[in-house]
Amino acid sequence: MKPHVNIVVLVDAVGALSDRTLNNGNLSLVDDGAFGSRGQGTTDLCTVVVPGQVVQWTAIAIDVQTTAEISAITFLPPDAAGGAGGAAAEEAPAGEAPGGGHENLDLKVWEGIVPAHLQPGVPYRYRLEVRMHEGRDSVLHIDTPALMCA
Amino acid sequence: MAQQQGIIVLVDIANALRSRTLTGNVYLFDNMKFLGSTGQGTPDLVTICPGTYWSDGSQATEQVLNWLPASLGSIPPTVPRSYHADRAQATDQEALEEIAGVADRAGDPSVDTAAELEGLRRRVGARARRQRGGRAPAAPKVLDVTGNVVTGEGQAYNHPNPVITDITGPAVEEKIMYPAQYGSPDMVSDGWYWAASVDTSRPGTYRYTMHIQLHELVWRNGEPAWEPVDYTCDSAIKVISDPKRNAFTGAGLGVLPIP
Repeated sequence: MKPHVNIVVLVDAVGALSDRTLNNGNLSLVDDGAFGSRGQGTTDLCTVVVPGQVVQWTAIAIDVQTTAEISAITFLPPDAAGGAGGAAAEEAPAGEAPGGGHENLDLKVWEGIVPAHLQPGVPYRYRLEVRMHEGRDSVLHIDTPALMCA
Repeated sequence: MAQQQGIIVLVDIANALRSRTLTGNVYLFDNMKFLGSTGQGTPDLVTICPGTYWSDGSQATEQVLNWLPASLGSIPPTVPRSYHADRAQATDQEALEEIAGVADRAGDPSVDTAAELEGLRRRVGARARRQRGGRAPAAPKVLDVTGNVVTGEGQAYNHPNPVITDITGPAVEEKIMYPAQYGSPDMVSDGWYWAASVDTSRPGTYRYTMHIQLHELVWRNGEPAWEPVDYTCDSAIKVISDPKRNAFTGAGLGVLPIP
C-alpha cells in the first residue's frame, strides 16, 4: 500500500474568475491513488483510499503568474444533497497572523490521515474552496469531489 | 503552491529622455499587494517575497520574480505581434501602387512629377539605422503611436519598449536573489525576460538596481538612427518567512475531519 495519496487541484484562475465558476473546465482534479479512482481530470474525482493513508491536496495554477490556493476543505455530512451543508468550515484556527498580517494560504498544508470509521464503497464528498487573489468572488467552491474507502 | 510574481516597470520614455534620468519617470507595480507589497504605482515599490519553510527549517516553496518592462504612451504590447512589420509593409505597398499613377501622369505638362515623387518619399517614411550589435528594435521603419510613418525630424515617434540589461545591487551581491535573463516564446516580453529566484531563508529588506536601456531616435544629415541610452533605477524586495503548518489541525498531521 502506498502510504501517500496526492490529489492535485489544477486551476485556471483567469477562466474561473471570468466565468465565476470552477466548472466549465476551470478546475480539474487528478490523484495518484492505486485503487482505481474515478473521474480523473474532472471536478468529480472520487479518490479511492484505505484507512491510515495520508491524503494531500495541492493547488496548482495553470498560469504560474496567477494565484490559486486552497482556502478550505470541508467534508459534507453524509445526507447533504449538494447544498451548503451543515458542516462547519474546518479551517485552521486563525491564531497569530503569520505573513506580516497578510493571510498567506501558501503556508497551509492540506494533508490528513484517512480515518478508520469510513464505510467501504461509500463516497465521502467534500467541499473544496479555492481562493484566487482577493476581493468579491475571489473564493469559489465545488461540492463534487469525494474520498471513498476501497 | 506559490505563484510567480510579476513586476511591471513602466517607463515614461519621452520624459526620461528629455530629463536624462529615470528618476521620477518610472512607475513600478507588482501583483503581490494582497500579500504585503507596498508602494504600488510609485518608484518606491517594495515587493514582498513571502517565503515558507518546513519544520526542519528547510525552504518549502520557491519565490520567483519576473520583470516586465513597459513603455508609457507607446503602441500597446497587446496589438498583434506583426503590427510594426504589417504597417511598414502596408505603407511600402501604398507607395508602390501610387508610383503607377505618377508614371501615368508624367506626360502631362501640368503635373509636377518631382513634387509628386517627393510626396511619395514622405509617405514611405523613414527607416532608422541601428547600431551594430545593439539591442535596438528590429523593425526599421519609424512609426508614431497611431501606426503612421514618421517622415522627418521633430515628429513624434513611437518609443520602443525599455530593455532591462542587468539586475544588480545588494539583493544580488548578498545572494538573496539570483537574477538571470531567459529566452521565452512569450510575445509580450519580446522573447527575453529577466527572472530571479529568491532565497527566503534570510528575512529582511534588500535593495536592487535595474539597468534599463532606452532608445532615442537621433537624426543626422536627415537620417534617423536608434541610439541606446542607459539608465538605472532602484527598487527593493522584502523577504519574510513563515512555517508551513497543517491546514486541518493548525499544527501537525492529524486524522481528516470526516463526519
